[in-house]
Amino acid sequence: MSEPEILLKLDQVEKRFPGVIALKSISMDLRAGEVQVLLGENGAGKSTLMKILAGEYRASAGTITVRGKEVSTLTPELAGELGIGLVHQELSLVPALSVTENIFLNRLPRDPLRRIDWRKAHDMARRALDALGVSIDPTVEVRRLEVAEQQLVEIARVLERGPRILLLDEPTSALSDGERLRLFDVIRRLKSRGVGMIYISHHLAEIPMIADRVTVLRDGVVVETLPAEEADEDTVVRMMVGRALDEQFPKQAAAIGAPALAVENLASGGSLKDISFTLRRGEILGIYGLMGAGQSELAPALFGLQSIKSGSIAVDGKAVRFSFSSDAIAAGLGLISRDRRQSLVPMQPVGPNLSLSWLSRRRLLAPLDLKREREESGRYVRELRVRPSSLTHQLMFFSGGNQQKVILARWMSSGAHVLIFDEPTRGIDVGAKAEVFALMSRLVNEGAAILMISSELNELIGMADRVLVLHGGRVSAELDRDQLSQENLLRHAS
Amino acid sequence: MSETSSEPTVTKTSYEATTVAQSGRAHLRHLLFQAGPLLALILLMAYLSFATSNFLTVDNLSNIARQSAFVAIVAVGQTFVILTGGIDLSVAAIAALSASITAVLLTQPLVLFGVDFGLLPPELAVAIGLLVGLIAGAFNGWVIATFKIPDFIATLGTMTIFRGAALLVTNGLPVPSFDAQRQLPDTLIWVGGGTLFGFPVSALLALLCGLIAWYVLRYTVLGRSIYAVGGNREAARVSGISIERTKIMTYAISGLLAAIAGIVLVGRLNSANALMAEGEELRSIASVVIGGTNLFGGEGGVLGSIVGAAIIGVLGNGLNLLDVSPFWQRIAQGFVIVVVVIFDQWRRRSMTRI
Repeated sequence: MSEPEILLKLDQVEKRFPGVIALKSISMDLRAGEVQVLLGENGAGKSTLMKILAGEYRASAGTITVRGKEVSTLTPELAGELGIGLVHQELSLVPALSVTENIFLNRLPRDPLRRIDWRKAHDMARRALDALGVSIDPTVEVRRLEVAEQQLVEIARVLERGPRILLLDEPTSALSDGERLRLFDVIRRLKSRGVGMIYISHHLAEIPMIADRVTVLRDGVVVETLPAEEADEDTVVRMMVGRALDEQFPKQAAAIGAPALAVENLASGGSLKDISFTLRRGEILGIYGLMGAGQSELAPALFGLQSIKSGSIAVDGKAVRFSFSSDAIAAGLGLISRDRRQSLVPMQPVGPNLSLSWLSRRRLLAPLDLKREREESGRYVRELRVRPSSLTHQLMFFSGGNQQKVILARWMSSGAHVLIFDEPTRGIDVGAKAEVFALMSRLVNEGAAILMISSELNELIGMADRVLVLHGGRVSAELDRDQLSQENLLRHAS
Repeated sequence: MSETSSEPTVTKTSYEATTVAQSGRAHLRHLLFQAGPLLALILLMAYLSFATSNFLTVDNLSNIARQSAFVAIVAVGQTFVILTGGIDLSVAAIAALSASITAVLLTQPLVLFGVDFGLLPPELAVAIGLLVGLIAGAFNGWVIATFKIPDFIATLGTMTIFRGAALLVTNGLPVPSFDAQRQLPDTLIWVGGGTLFGFPVSALLALLCGLIAWYVLRYTVLGRSIYAVGGNREAARVSGISIERTKIMTYAISGLLAAIAGIVLVGRLNSANALMAEGEELRSIASVVIGGTNLFGGEGGVLGSIVGAAIIGVLGNGLNLLDVSPFWQRIAQGFVIVVVVIFDQWRRRSMTRI
């Protein structure tokens, strides 16, 4: 058997940003027809590396060889010509343009009179989407699509250019299981055509499904590249965090107490039709559903961010009606929202971010409690082991997991006892996940009640006392802890 | 805390230590950049002191201070608005409206719906002028918050409304008119052009406004809310901060400060008219940006804006002393603004990692 062609070779690639070394001496290669999964904690440098390969960032040092030819300065145009395509982690679509326009941005097909041939363009777009096994109307504006659909459009756009080297930066983070499997089919097809792929993921379970080799990054260096067969979860996690995780889901038994949050026949927004449940103190109640089952509108509806069509909510036995999030906060609720970036003021340090919820319902000209802010932020940074353990650095310098800890600290300090965790581990690394779970355990032990809305099956199985499975905006099953299994959850969700 | 989060190993800890040290340097740069506008002002003044014989004189410096006071006061209010991510194009119009109303009430008897109220006490006339500014500003905020329209468009519209109202109040004529029953009070003239312990009163007033604003931004719930709304609107909303209330209050403050500036200007010019201070809204925005406040909100402060106003004032004065033609002066001032924004963007890009 002949050696497969080396499509891409990196030799001691380095990237410095002012004040930070993101990558130091990265050496790796990519073979034709392989899927190389790139793993690493947040801040390990994965996304930076991808952007260098796509020509969006320039490497500070080192050499990049594409198909035997050394390229000194890689620009986005050159990367495109060399057949390198990057599916971004953050969506890079133009929201106000149609799906077709986004897929063929700058390259729309023309008729002989140089006018845009829309019929042909839409047909081509439809074919590109069909290849992914999705049916999205190519004439629709991208902003009208769900996040998962947008992600699929982004993937279709990159694939349409027929890349030889495909870089996928967490392409499945917003996808449902079904969509994920279809994407894997496409990846396997591309493999057989000799395309080399670097695939970034936080889902270790995806490794055996598609990987040929696994490369682990830590602190901007390659820890090791190993064949997928040797990359079992324990090994790679140890490589990623530089230590073993004693236990990923530190679930402790907590005494279940009085009802903290009672919801009856709640309907809100477009997808939440009729949901009832009672969450008790000391309990972690999981909510699971496939994309569009209503779980994404539950947190905004409960927290006064989205109006309620019908139904009732009671906190600690008292009926409540929240018109603003400040009402929910006053009643003792706290929200760790789906998108971390929506909860932080990135240009401010820990203190102001921590105390943000204290401002709710206060007189505008009232003085800030800066002493308490200093004390509590110092205490939480120590207790939750926020890194860097600094009270002066702006939060944008913190990694995702550490930002999440600061948001958690915010609600702990505001005395919230009903906490809504909406996708609490999205985009944070393995080490930080375990710390977030440990905190959840601690909170319920102290008498808090937690509603855990998650699309991660293993996290729900690991942490929840009960799980409500949603389907079509309604509760399709309620599963106790001993009934929780991936099969059970998926069966009731679909 | 559970046992799971065991102590990190040595490699992990040392990595964290380097990150802190590295972002520590970034932090130092941050501080340096913050002092940038002040440094630029000092350098500019040092240069002009050597390049011209009459820049560094008490008379000339007081003159600059007096002339810059108006923009400085307006810029203080503008800073609040820009920190929330908004922009207030109506400030100069509010200044003219408040100035016109105050000047009319100071010099003519008030006749409303056929009822003659006679000449109002001067204090009341000034208070009404200030109140008009406050209400005009609050109206801006209310329109923006309630109807969710872009700040730029809303204040572009109200700018014309307020100018029109000022024309109505003054009949399009300068105040005091020939048949004025009373002249402008001496106190007002003193505030606009006089000195206190040798310092121009108007400049001292601008500094006072700046100090109060600095306190509000740094030590009150409102200040924090303003930074939060400008830094991340959604985060502010989720944390229970009322964006509407913050916006209305912010624009009201901007309106009030514009009114103060307008009334001070009446004292300096010994006259008011509906079209006074035209174009000053842009100078106030330029001062804020030169002072280092992020045009997209969330970052910056009011002291920088005062320095920014001073830079614009010194630059204009210096170019005059250097005998640069007024046409070239405009071009130079425009360049300064563009260069500052370019520099500011570059700085922000280099600050943000990934």
